[in-house]
Amino acid sequence: MYNGVSFFTVECEVGFMCGIEGRGLLLLMMNLQQVMPPKSTANGFGRRRGEREGGTRLESKSQSGKSNSGRVTTTGSVIGSKSGSCAVSSHDKLLYLASCLIGLSVEVQVKGGSVYAGIFHATSDEKDFGVILKMARLIKDGNFRGQKTVAEFVSKPPSKNFIIPSSELVQVIAKDVAVTRDGFANELQSDKQRELMIDSLISQTRHVEERELEPWIPDEDVPQLPELENIFDDPWNSKKWDQFETNETLFGVKTTFNEELYTTKLLRGPQTEELEKEAARIAREIAGEDTQDLHLAEERGSSIHENLGIDEETRFSSVYRGTGFDDSGYEEDEDIVLNTHNNETFGDSSGSVDQISTDFAIAKSSDGGQLSSSSFIVDEAQTSQSDGTGADLYCSEIPSRNFSTLDSESRVQENLLGECGGNNDAKDFVEKQPLPEDAQLPKSGDSQSSPNREKAGTIKVGRSANATPYSTSHVLSKGNEKTSSHGEPVDVAASCKAPGEPQSVNSRGRPGSSASSNSDRAAATSASSGPGLSPSSSMGSLSSEKSTLNPYAKEFKLNPNAKSFTPSQASARPLSPVADNAFYHPPNVSAVPHMHGLPVGFGMGPSLAAQQPVIYPQIAPMQSPQTYYHPHGPQYGQQMLVGQSRPVFYLPNYQPGIQVLRTYQRLLFPV
Amino acid sequence: MEGQVGGSGEEFAVGCLLSIKTTLGDEFDGQVMAFDRFTNMLVIQEGLKSGPRRNIRLLNANYIKDFSFLGQADDPLDPKKCFLDLSRLQAREHLAVRQAEADAQRIGVGVTTEAQNIFDALSKTLPVRWDKTVIVVMNEVRVSSPYLPESVSGGTAAANERVKKVLEFERKRLQARGSSQG
Repeated sequence: MYNGVSFFTVECEVGFMCGIEGRGLLLLMMNLQQVMPPKSTANGFGRRRGEREGGTRLESKSQSGKSNSGRVTTTGSVIGSKSGSCAVSSHDKLLYLASCLIGLSVEVQVKGGSVYAGIFHATSDEKDFGVILKMARLIKDGNFRGQKTVAEFVSKPPSKNFIIPSSELVQVIAKDVAVTRDGFANELQSDKQRELMIDSLISQTRHVEERELEPWIPDEDVPQLPELENIFDDPWNSKKWDQFETNETLFGVKTTFNEELYTTKLLRGPQTEELEKEAARIAREIAGEDTQDLHLAEERGSSIHENLGIDEETRFSSVYRGTGFDDSGYEEDEDIVLNTHNNETFGDSSGSVDQISTDFAIAKSSDGGQLSSSSFIVDEAQTSQSDGTGADLYCSEIPSRNFSTLDSESRVQENLLGECGGNNDAKDFVEKQPLPEDAQLPKSGDSQSSPNREKAGTIKVGRSANATPYSTSHVLSKGNEKTSSHGEPVDVAASCKAPGEPQSVNSRGRPGSSASSNSDRAAATSASSGPGLSPSSSMGSLSSEKSTLNPYAKEFKLNPNAKSFTPSQASARPLSPVADNAFYHPPNVSAVPHMHGLPVGFGMGPSLAAQQPVIYPQIAPMQSPQTYYHPHGPQYGQQMLVGQSRPVFYLPNYQPGIQVLRTYQRLLFPV
Repeated sequence: MEGQVGGSGEEFAVGCLLSIKTTLGDEFDGQVMAFDRFTNMLVIQEGLKSGPRRNIRLLNANYIKDFSFLGQADDPLDPKKCFLDLSRLQAREHLAVRQAEADAQRIGVGVTTEAQNIFDALSKTLPVRWDKTVIVVMNEVRVSSPYLPESVSGGTAAANERVKKVLEFERKRLQARGSSQG
């Protein structure tokens, strides 16, 4: 029952309901309430209006409109018959106007001069006029004459229900009240605008008023064109539709689209097939993972919803409301930025969803770093030089390493990335993690070739197998915060993202920590080349294991002496935050005078974009084997890279694995 | 029309334009929309024009200190256009209460304006809530009075650091803003 009505004990003499005293209005309203469906659709509004006019008319004009129930009709007609010529009583008017105030924010002044602001709820009305407010608070204290507003202190929380008896009431002030139809229409419009339900409003509010949804049924006379609907159903099959071809045929427009402008050239070589297979395998693995997220499950074709009676809305579009189903994998960008960033710093206490998005962002952001190092490491592997430079260490050791540690990490990352669905690039990076830190550490230890190397040894990666996304992301974010333009090669690559923050909490609690993201990257990259494949293979095979991080990993220590690297050519990446999920794609550089021993920088995930300077370690577009000597950094043989001269193929067909492959190559051949 | 002489002995005809002074010192002009002699409540719409939305006062006529008659006009309330949509009213109230509750969450009770400003600043980028007079950030880090970087406690080292930094920054900003405003 409508609360406000309960307070209306109407004493009304004018034909309100003959013989029904006092509660006439009450009854009237109740009847009408029964009659009206609670929906507030546009249709309902109009309909109701007619009925209301018939029933509620305080003016007691002759009844118009329909009445749905006998009672209403009766009362209506009573009004009609009686009221013909009666003016509306003043009391009725008062009641009517008071009713118009319901729900509005009003100010009530009381005898002492104090003013309370609250939401008008009801009036009490016998012989006197009292008022009830909801969520009332004192805004002007009568005791402090002349004071505009209550002093700095808010001394108590707003009162849920605040009663002002008639003896205290001086006046009620309400602004922008709609009292007539014009006003109502006006108000309705602005109400609608205000009530725009954004996702976060829906998910955070306990009770949301919602409409009853009806399924859409298409018109019958709309032509059905099944061929239009099916043409894009199979993303893998692009033979049927080539937009460029069509455009040219129809309009004679020649396209200048070149895929390589937007992504890495895929360099095909002897290992391409292997790489592709591997990439496809990984992609399949990710796509086949279990997930709790409804939407991801939908994408992967699993059918968890069949038994659970999830309706179509929940399945495809609804906002996460804190019910049992996790369908909030896709958050708005803003939320992601906030959440992930927060989660990075604060750890994730909010559950899997946030974790996922967090990790996603983290993964993405960390990818850059990872890739860089990994690419580097791959290079090493490929070239397999023998000088005892750090480069060597990475590559040669990789295959033999125990990937168990990082498998878990990769697993986590895979899960995270996989669950984040749509972004293919993210999947690419999944590969990068599982690199044994072991690979890195001993190298670091061994090389000793430069003080930097040692210091830059392993990055403290707070990344733990069981996704303490917090630590992981933390490391990365910290890395981003602290890293200036570290232009150092590998180590920098490794360290670029996570200069060892002593506080980079390693949630694993491993001594010395450093689940080296460095090594992660190394591992990742290693997968992309021939010899590198073995790590990824083993990585893949071990990926189902969960284990702790490498206990041998050394802690990464930031090298304060590291010289800032500035690439000497146009491919220098600006150190600017990326605003979105875009990963950095190096522009096409055809000729590179010399090699830079730096891994490519990658766009950070959105979580890091806004807050920290992003470092893009440079990857050397290595055209010719040259030795690059960084004054402070480790020295790498030019065996940075092979295969510059590989021809680039344009792949017409989409294959998920290809994206992975592409990513590898992006690292290796930053063209 | 209504507005017969009632207990107060004063006549408030609907449509009258009046200038009123209350015993509490309020002064305003308006047009009489209704006057109920039983409750002695006078309903006035402020301003002298009618429009779709009006400012309305429900004034207890006992508190009228003085008034002057400015003129007579028609009934500002057109009965033909008046009706009540209860469900809409209910919905409106519901929404308003919901919003008020949400707002109330954000206001600290018994805290200084400064503290409230800090809370508001922090809430722009961090999830914060009040726990009596302590600002709780992300359910982990607590900032108690006097809300200085030293008063930040709890949470992991990273979280703590972060909150400290944001706090410092916001304080500086508030200071700068405050001083610029003189």
